[in-house]
Amino acid sequence: MTTRAASPNPFLEDFAAHAAELPGAGLPWLDARRADAIKLVRAQGIPHRRIEDWKYTDLRSALDGANDLGKVASETRLRNAVQQGYEVFEFKGDAPKWVVDSFGVIGIDGTMPAASLALASSTIALRIPSNAMAGKPLGYEFSGQARLLIVVEAGAAITLLETPMGGADSFSNAGIEIVLYEGARLDHIRTASNAASAIVVEDLTVRAAAGAQYRAHFMSTGAKLSRTELHVTLEGRNAESHVSGVSVLGDGRHADVTTHIVHAAPETRSTQLFKDIAGGHSRGVYQGKITVAEGADGSDSRQTAKGLLLGQRSEIDLKPELEIYADDVKCAHGAAVGDLDIESLFYLRSRGIPEAEARALLMRAFLGDAVDEIENEDIRASVWAKVEAALIEATEATP
Amino acid sequence: MSMLEIKDLHVSVGGKEILNGLNLSVGAGEVHAIMGPNGSGKSTLSYALAGRAGYEVTGGSIVYKGEDLTALPTDARAAKGIFLAMQYPVEIPGVTTINFLKTALNAQRRARGESDLDAVSVLRLVRGKAGTLKVPEEMLKRALNVGFSGGEKKRLEILQMALFEPSLAILDETDSGLDIDALKLVADGVNALRAPDRAMLVITHYQRLLNYIVPDRVHVLSAGRIIKEGGKELAHELEAKGYEQIIKDAA
Repeated sequence: MTTRAASPNPFLEDFAAHAAELPGAGLPWLDARRADAIKLVRAQGIPHRRIEDWKYTDLRSALDGANDLGKVASETRLRNAVQQGYEVFEFKGDAPKWVVDSFGVIGIDGTMPAASLALASSTIALRIPSNAMAGKPLGYEFSGQARLLIVVEAGAAITLLETPMGGADSFSNAGIEIVLYEGARLDHIRTASNAASAIVVEDLTVRAAAGAQYRAHFMSTGAKLSRTELHVTLEGRNAESHVSGVSVLGDGRHADVTTHIVHAAPETRSTQLFKDIAGGHSRGVYQGKITVAEGADGSDSRQTAKGLLLGQRSEIDLKPELEIYADDVKCAHGAAVGDLDIESLFYLRSRGIPEAEARALLMRAFLGDAVDEIENEDIRASVWAKVEAALIEATEATP
Repeated sequence: MSMLEIKDLHVSVGGKEILNGLNLSVGAGEVHAIMGPNGSGKSTLSYALAGRAGYEVTGGSIVYKGEDLTALPTDARAAKGIFLAMQYPVEIPGVTTINFLKTALNAQRRARGESDLDAVSVLRLVRGKAGTLKVPEEMLKRALNVGFSGGEKKRLEILQMALFEPSLAILDETDSGLDIDALKLVADGVNALRAPDRAMLVITHYQRLLNYIVPDRVHVLSAGRIIKEGGKELAHELEAKGYEQIIKDAA
């Protein structure tokens, strides 16, 4: 028997002991969903590199030796006051119907989302009522095992700013479920500046009804291990998903973004645009799967992923994947990894721009179209500021 | 005094010697043409003057305004007033032309100890030069050289020359890929920049460009060295006889 097989699953220890302390414990529907989730965790175990989807992100090795991850300190909170009309449920007392309908229902596929459902000791559900206009962006942050449900009702719009708080040597595992009703729109900007020693796992599951739009940007500076997994199902005609992101990695950093967009209805549209820059000894990963289901005719999907390597010990893995079961669809994808273009570098330097400044200019240009997908000007500027700082770190990490 | 004094220059690329013992002297206010067949070392000379990595000076000297350039990095040479208009200007997606011009101009100013110009001042300066070169405002907003026609790219090179006001301008095959109208426009731009304190080195395969930019001296480059020199009439002689004959005569 190997040591690994002998070591217990750290998520399972004491689950039974503190299940009763979890928010909402005692609600029969919730207890049942948590019990199912922990069964799944037990059956599937912690993902590791011999599981195809986790090939570039060996979570089991990274967690090796960690004990009782079910009991890690956990915090989930909204950063500013919610607009009038929004409803927040913090799992005290009986749950309203919209929570029962969706919480722990759509985002439970896999060990990690199942673990966050079964173990999260801090949990928030947020409902944006029908036709609520997008006001001031709403921020939220989390650490540890965290679980969120966001429901945007028909015709409503909101901008959410997400910040994981991956402190030194921390482990966090967030499970976020997003339900967009007809014509709803969510602009979702995630900026992750975690500690280099943090392990940050996140699973996002989105369901978009007819005419709904999910627009997201994931900015990351990586961590010891960082995995952001997004599942979007475009369930109604004309639903759209537009996702972009940049990972800028300094020495010892890892960032994996994995997306799976399912076109389940006709005339649905999606784009994915991801750019990675890897400096020092680091690894960037983008895995992008697109599924066009039978009957989803007239769907249109475009995916671009590009990587820029700064050093000999930097690595970027890009894995596009298409599954098409419908006729009359448009799907295009492209992936490329390279170094900074020496012709461009020489051209800029021949105009008097010093090497470091020329490199920075080319790196910003490389990331530009992905960051500029963020429509809100203030948010875009603040993401650029974080990107600039990360670029300096990534460059300095590379001799 | 010479603006540029090249003595016994040897340059290797990838271990192969391309220039072997090139001598050239260009005075302030003069326009010199370097003509030569393909593979004679014309582009190597321009890159060696700009200090491009991989163009290794293995012997001789390049003295500009009394200072040996060979150890200076590319950007420092530009800041000292050396400008290379390239045969194939590079396309850089994601960098707008105006932002590039501002970054380059301010980098050169900073290297000379001058203060940065703000965006408005740069735009005013660029506008002042852009009109005669037919570089429209819309071009300045587009990504640098991306989707520009051959003529637009070359006009932008000359606009940069007008903006940076170099002491030594090297024009590498500026006529390549241009029709006659575009060529005239570019040549007019270059001629407008002729000045007593500025030297120009016009590198070209064909005599055609020299009908519009009339040189003071013509040098024939073959197999990495200058084999013949003369006045502007040498260009016509080359056109009439062809490189092969001239090279044979010189041997």
